[in-house]
Amino acid sequence: MINITNLHKSYGDNAVLKGINEHIRQGEVVSVIGPSGSGKSTFLRCINLLEKPTQGDIEIEGQSITAKDACVDKLRQKVGMVFQNFNLFPHKTVLQNITLAPVSLKLMTQAEADNKALTLLTQVGLQDKANAYPSSLSGGQKQRVAIARALAMEPDLMLFDEPTSALDPEMVGDVLDVMKDLAQKGMTMVIVTHEMGFARDVSDRVIFMDGGYVVESNIPEELFTRPKEARTQSFLSKVLR
Amino acid sequence: MLEAINTSLFSPIGDDGMIGILLILNGLKVTLIVTFFAMLLGAVLGVGTTLMKMSSKWYIRFPAELYVGVIRGTPVVVQLVILYFIVLAALDVDKITAAIIAFGLNSGAYISEIIRAGIQAVDKGQTEAARSLGLSQAMTMKLIILPQAIKNILPALGNEFIVLLKETAVIGFIGGVDLMRAGEIIRSRTFEDSIPLFTCALIYLFLTYSFTFMLSKFEKRLKQSD
Repeated sequence: MINITNLHKSYGDNAVLKGINEHIRQGEVVSVIGPSGSGKSTFLRCINLLEKPTQGDIEIEGQSITAKDACVDKLRQKVGMVFQNFNLFPHKTVLQNITLAPVSLKLMTQAEADNKALTLLTQVGLQDKANAYPSSLSGGQKQRVAIARALAMEPDLMLFDEPTSALDPEMVGDVLDVMKDLAQKGMTMVIVTHEMGFARDVSDRVIFMDGGYVVESNIPEELFTRPKEARTQSFLSKVLR
Repeated sequence: MLEAINTSLFSPIGDDGMIGILLILNGLKVTLIVTFFAMLLGAVLGVGTTLMKMSSKWYIRFPAELYVGVIRGTPVVVQLVILYFIVLAALDVDKITAAIIAFGLNSGAYISEIIRAGIQAVDKGQTEAARSLGLSQAMTMKLIILPQAIKNILPALGNEFIVLLKETAVIGFIGGVDLMRAGEIIRSRTFEDSIPLFTCALIYLFLTYSFTFMLSKFEKRLKQSD
């Protein structure tokens, strides 16, 4: 599904990604963990070209997205993204937030999109908020709307950039439940997260990143209980207490 | 005091028999016409300049940046005089039109900065969210960024209008008779200083104050929809 070869990203002299090779299968749920500044968010943002790789190649469903003639907007329609700070459109209602992209891109009529949006809102437990504005929602509700907004484009792949880091602890569960549900339905997901319990329960594979490299990648039981690398061991001993 | 008011405002001044208050009202008309049309011209130039400045091609960005740099770096009175006596000298343009062009050019540079600041004040996450959904840059601008930026832009535009209104007081430098110049003419012909100058000042104050008042009402309404 996704093939990443020798991915590099630097800002001036500051190298953030130093050669990443990864293969993510259809339907796989991959969690990316690691300390702050390890490059995990940058790695995720490279996959839908919010960051432009300095070097290396990324292929999604057999198509190179790093090629010069790649159609970035088309690619992004198939790759949903959920942000740490939700980034809902404050001047639009919840329903409009969800329908804006599919309708403006002429993929659905307004009526089709409205129907789809209501189904998605029911799926994330917010059907009664369709006509509310984002400013009246709690953080957890905003993030669930953001997930519904991404899903309205019927993506083949969902990227999550620390989706629960800006939430009050009691809101985290609702968002994780929605993501868990999505994973069970077979969505291909890449999740940058600090929620170790969630990464262990839901992921098919966990990637540990540090200093711009993938240090270790394994199924969660192995990585969390028998980490091979010293750096992974020291990170996990600090976060799993 | 009454004597001075009568002499400077309500009696014929000089040989042409012009009455002071009429001269002032004519001057006020010129001030308002120049301000209004310069603001319109400035808005058009401002939007165009902003679009040019956002271009990815340097040869489109460069002229816009040069324009803003030159206008911001020189006094408006210098721009007015150069435009009327040098640039437009051969074209036989009347003084009011020349003033509208000069103040419009001046205002356009500031308005483009206002629009740019308004756009930049919209959170970067908004662009990222819109682009991540597959919207093009143009659609993102139109559907997501501009509707939010307008709230930052409108109050600042009102401010620019007030600044512009006051700045037109230098029209006299090219011989145009605006509000300020009318006051000066009365002063020089009647040798009364206080009445004509304070009359001008009060009219400016009244105009800017009532406009500020309307603006603050309007800003409150904008805030309500947040």
